Amino acid sequence: MERRNFIKSMCAASVVAAIATPSSLLAKDAAKGKNVLTYDAAVAAITGGKAATQSDKIKLTVPEIAENGAVVPVKVNVESPMTDADHVKAIHVLSTKNGNARCADVMLTPMNAKGYFATRIKLAGTQDVVALVELSDGSFLTTAKSVKVTIGGCG
Amino acid sequence: MEIDRRDFLQIAASLGLLGAVGGTNLFAGEAGKERIKKLSFSNVVDFEAKGKATILHICDMHAHIKPLYWREPSTLISAKNLVGTPGFICGEAFQKHYNIQPGTLDAYFDTHNDFSELAKKFGKMGGIAHMKPIIDHVKKERGAKNVLLLDSGDTWQGTAVALKTAGEAIVDAQNYLGVDVMVGHWEFTYGKERVHELIGKLDGEFISQNVIDNDPFSDDFEELIFPPYSIKEIGGAKIGIIGQSFPFTSTANPKKFTEGWSFGLRHESLQEYVNMLRKEKKVDCIVVLSHDGFSVDQELAKKVTGVDFILSGHTHDPSPDPIIVNDTVILISGSHGKYVGRLDIDIKNKKVVDYNFKLMPVASNLIPADKAGVDLVEKWYKPYNKELNEVLGTTKGLLYKRDTFYSTFDSLIGMAIEDEMKSDINFNPGYRWGTTVLPGGDILKDNVYEMTAITYPEVYTFDLKGEVIFNLMEDIADNVFNANPLLQQGGDMSRVTGASYSITISAPSGKRISDFMIGGKPIDMKKTYRVSSWGGNLQNVGENLDEKIIRPVYEVVSDYIRKNKVVDISMESNVKVLDMDCGCPVKGAKC
Repeated sequence: MERRNFIKSMCAASVVAAIATPSSLLAKDAAKGKNVLTYDAAVAAITGGKAATQSDKIKLTVPEIAENGAVVPVKVNVESPMTDADHVKAIHVLSTKNGNARCADVMLTPMNAKGYFATRIKLAGTQDVVALVELSDGSFLTTAKSVKVTIGGCG
Repeated sequence: MEIDRRDFLQIAASLGLLGAVGGTNLFAGEAGKERIKKLSFSNVVDFEAKGKATILHICDMHAHIKPLYWREPSTLISAKNLVGTPGFICGEAFQKHYNIQPGTLDAYFDTHNDFSELAKKFGKMGGIAHMKPIIDHVKKERGAKNVLLLDSGDTWQGTAVALKTAGEAIVDAQNYLGVDVMVGHWEFTYGKERVHELIGKLDGEFISQNVIDNDPFSDDFEELIFPPYSIKEIGGAKIGIIGQSFPFTSTANPKKFTEGWSFGLRHESLQEYVNMLRKEKKVDCIVVLSHDGFSVDQELAKKVTGVDFILSGHTHDPSPDPIIVNDTVILISGSHGKYVGRLDIDIKNKKVVDYNFKLMPVASNLIPADKAGVDLVEKWYKPYNKELNEVLGTTKGLLYKRDTFYSTFDSLIGMAIEDEMKSDINFNPGYRWGTTVLPGGDILKDNVYEMTAITYPEVYTFDLKGEVIFNLMEDIADNVFNANPLLQQGGDMSRVTGASYSITISAPSGKRISDFMIGGKPIDMKKTYRVSSWGGNLQNVGENLDEKIIRPVYEVVSDYIRKNKVVDISMESNVKVLDMDCGCPVKGAKC
């Protein structure tokens, strides 16, 4: 059960800053209060305006359809040797349409051994989930996947 | 059923018998009657065998252990890119696609056309006592050890006897039929504990690679709930069978039944199992036993390599011919016990070199009932016969389920709810299971259960804002008409009573519905409406739920029919499709 233990240890050691976003399946105008950060602003705050390269080195795992919009599991796995010279420095999870687009930030070091992070986020409706990864050379990689949030009801 | 000589000839012609036996005089007289009976059965099971291994496939029986009438859809509308493709064809378009002659047994089984008339001629469909002789015949022909019976799920739910025995009657029926391996969807609506109990009673195996523990605090977090695969040796070959239960169970059905379990397509782990079974377990053939839905499985075959066969389910399509996507052969065997699919596989040098497939129609009048099956059905129905055989009333016209937006039996259910709950608008789920009652026929309590027998039958009445109702309809429409099959959930549109609307299928998500009227007036987005609903999740977003008037839908509908004695339901839909001209369009959206 190597994988399970790994995930567990990740949870124990996590430095998750999951930012709560009030969400409702149907509320179009979620989070117009204080806690507002648009997707573009969130990306700019992370990259400082640097371009992020689309990359298939990031494996982003999300459900096609969320089982529950309030807890959507997200896994980010970055292909990296995780050496001092070449490692993943940070993994950021963002959503394109949440009131606050910045869902989670985690800082990594070569000690983490893997460029891996798993968490759960809230999604206020159907939108893209984005993984934004900072490498030790200061460059950024990114990838996105769409997650559908629906009340469902068929059979 | 009285079969006269003319009918015999038509049955014979429909089965392609006349050519085979040459000359019509064979069917004259009493001796001819006997002969056609034998010939009919032999023709149902007639098959060009291949290789040494056989898989029999059933799916979506919905607990119909007795024969029934089941009419296929007369309206089956999809996203434009999918129009006219298998999974989205019906009626004449279906007959043309599969080269089926009108008026034949195949036309009766596969399409809605002339249904009431053909029903009188060919009789009821399915029933375990009529399925069993087909299974026995194949096992005798091939050797029982070379035959597997695989079940794609939606087997334990759908009738009164299933509901009242919490699935046990149906597991008994599966054991009688000899189900070797199954997956699930509605099975899960009995709740986690009962699912495990019933699996304990099942002689076969329940497998799923896509159901995992979802509780981060449990010791089994992200562990599998069921064995992911099964390896069977038949006809000298090793078959790896991987299970796919319904990926969207937790959004399609109440979460409370599967709290702590996570579903999903999980095609990445599916690929890992495929690779592992090939490399480490050295299987000769990979079969995915699936409840994903026919169109989802066609997409799945584009994402996962190395699968020989997908035995699909969920969407209730009868598909006489296989679909081939990237070397994966996809099969689906209808619903309600109407067919037994037979797949013969020829394996040489650890590779599938040939196969043959046929949907064998379970025509109850052509297949003599197996006594043990009749007895089994009687045993389980006996305690409930008095209640279930009550004649509630009769129907003037055809009562049927299916169709994308509207069907007469749904309309009857909606009228009953409207009458009792006095709400402005009612929602009925767009399930694809149910029953059919012929024009002039008695409506039994059993028939009402066949339309509504679920473990959460409560009719809820509550408030919703116009805006919320409208957004809900758009949300549901996007689940049905999304151009990407992976984002569809395989049902039909929720039915509405007390309202009408127009729809543009090809419009973008959120912009499909127009001209939405409630009580004959345009919907007021700011107004609060009184809404009744069952079988879904809508009450969770409503306010002012009236706890006092909650009742099971089958009681509401039964009372309404008793009160009215004769029901006469319009065949006209309350939904207007703006960008398609007919119910069964062919490719290119033409009719």
